[in-house]
Amino acid sequence: MPKVYNWQLGREMDYPYEGRRPEKQFAMVFDTNKCIACQTCTVACKTTWTSGRGQEYMYWNNVETKPYGYYPLGWDVNILERLGVQPMDGPVYQGKTLFDAAPTGEVILGYLPEDIDYAHPNIGEDDSTGLMPRGAHLTLPHMQWMFYLPRICNHCTYPACASACPRQSIYKRPEDGIVLLDQSRCRGYRECVKGCPYKKVYFNTQTRVSEKCIGCYPAVEGGRQTQCTISCIGKIRIQGFMNPPDRANEDNPLDYLVLVRKIALPLYPQFGLEPNTYYIPPVHVPPPFLRQMFGWGVEAAIEAYRNAANDRKLLGALTLFGATPEISHWFRVEGDVVIGYDSKQSEIVRVPIKEPVVIREVYDPKHRAYRTNIT
Amino acid sequence: MRVILGALAVVAALAAAAEAQAPITAVRIGGTGPINDPFGAHWRQARAVQVAMLPQTVTLPHQPDPAVKTLSVRAVHNGGWIAFLIEWKDPSLSNKVILDNFGDQVAVQLPVDVKAPPPSPMMGNPGGRVNIMQWRAAFQKDIDTGPTTIAELYPNAWADVYPDQVLGATDARPYAGALGVENPISRGRASPVLDQMAEGWGSMTVKPDQHAHGKGVWKDDAWHVVITRPMVSDDLNAPRLVPGVRTVVAFAVWEGGNREVGARKAWSAWVPLVVAPAAAPAPKK
Repeated sequence: MPKVYNWQLGREMDYPYEGRRPEKQFAMVFDTNKCIACQTCTVACKTTWTSGRGQEYMYWNNVETKPYGYYPLGWDVNILERLGVQPMDGPVYQGKTLFDAAPTGEVILGYLPEDIDYAHPNIGEDDSTGLMPRGAHLTLPHMQWMFYLPRICNHCTYPACASACPRQSIYKRPEDGIVLLDQSRCRGYRECVKGCPYKKVYFNTQTRVSEKCIGCYPAVEGGRQTQCTISCIGKIRIQGFMNPPDRANEDNPLDYLVLVRKIALPLYPQFGLEPNTYYIPPVHVPPPFLRQMFGWGVEAAIEAYRNAANDRKLLGALTLFGATPEISHWFRVEGDVVIGYDSKQSEIVRVPIKEPVVIREVYDPKHRAYRTNIT
Repeated sequence: MRVILGALAVVAALAAAAEAQAPITAVRIGGTGPINDPFGAHWRQARAVQVAMLPQTVTLPHQPDPAVKTLSVRAVHNGGWIAFLIEWKDPSLSNKVILDNFGDQVAVQLPVDVKAPPPSPMMGNPGGRVNIMQWRAAFQKDIDTGPTTIAELYPNAWADVYPDQVLGATDARPYAGALGVENPISRGRASPVLDQMAEGWGSMTVKPDQHAHGKGVWKDDAWHVVITRPMVSDDLNAPRLVPGVRTVVAFAVWEGGNREVGARKAWSAWVPLVVAPAAAPAPKK
């Protein structure tokens, strides 16, 4: 089996195909600290792409509550249990990937969920880790916790779905790294559904083939961010492109956040797929849990995030989240303003890093009226 | 290396199986046109051959213990069409396809060039093209009782409106996934049998012109499936099976209840196939 380099694991690993990185890689960063699970992203995706017959319970984008929310039911704990306890210490991962752990006769360690596992997309919603005794909510930090995890297809560098498909119906585009499933070629074997540990490939009973997130490629090709990103009312997301890790450019906001500052971390990097959606970890969640979910960089990422107010360039990059529907290929901080540029280096957005404070006096002499704060 | 040794072992096993396998003779019967009825009296003229089925363990992924170990196969022809009656025990009817429910299927494979040495029995090889006709229980159900609807699969499901209810047929196509791009396995077929060709694993291609027909009936805990095709056609990717020809045939079967699909299947070695030149004598009673 060919050896490929997985930068998230800091080492080479086995993968059924030769490792060829795309020219640029579709990527997304989520700030989990800002997500309120309003599901606007979910609905934006659903109304755009999955409103047809057989797609009723198909959510290419979903937001689940951790630790007890899952869509489909138990997707991550099921595969973590099958993989077994692995050492989660960096910078070089010493444990097994899902490819290393493949049973005889299989390409990858996986499992096929039951159909009913998709029946409750909001299971566990808003459930925290336990009950709060009387008065406990008045003290900080809270002893119980939960957070929201928005998810799309990770458009992995080493996709499990593509490696598991016996017909090569799934391919990774060399121009932008988006992983697509050919609707003409698929024969509905469900090997991809079984193989993807994130369970982001879905089976359609009406077409009898599988479907998945297409990274909004028609929008992305036109320089526009995905529907889930531009509809996010909390401005928790930014979508763009990453360079290969050895060519990281600190003026590219995605490269800067993920590769340079390492403030955003991959989801379950130990699986070995090199997923390309990245999460700024929730600052209030116990690090051992986060370490299992996002890898060994969580403590440093949280520290950097907590210090962002004093970190001009980092604050600038974070301010670009939700600032424009267009894809920022470059960014620059100029004084108190962050500027985003498109692929032709034309300015597309200019945002003040700190919003100006306006104090309105209680009494308005011009109108001879008292102002009442009704918010 | 382990894979290569495994492949060699399987090829050896298939070769041994082929030597021990009695030939299938397609006997001449009367009539014209496709031979679709699995319970027609003409099948009594043909001798049933028991075909041993082996687990596919050469290419990934595997199902090391497929449910069906033997197929009973009979063959007839009427001078224009050849037909295979394939029967096997299957106590569980699997003709509804949902995520964790796979459909029963069976396939007949013939080399396209009946004069050349047979290609690999494992879906052919580059340069060694095979014609694979695959019957699917789900297609049969579509034809017998109409396409499976969401309401049938999920009686309590509710959806406010579908794109095809408010858009014209053309505009609704992008919302119909594989149906919109006319994926041949999706639905809307006139025949329960897919007429395909292959030159090795992963190369299975549905032909633009579909010539295969058939019918499957699940009765008394067993499938009785007929797969039939024209003996000679203008299709360059189909064998010319003129009366008197001697070639080979192979089979594959998927027990949906055992989650068999794609490469997870049972398959047979090549079995000698004789297309009888004239009506065979009736079997002795």
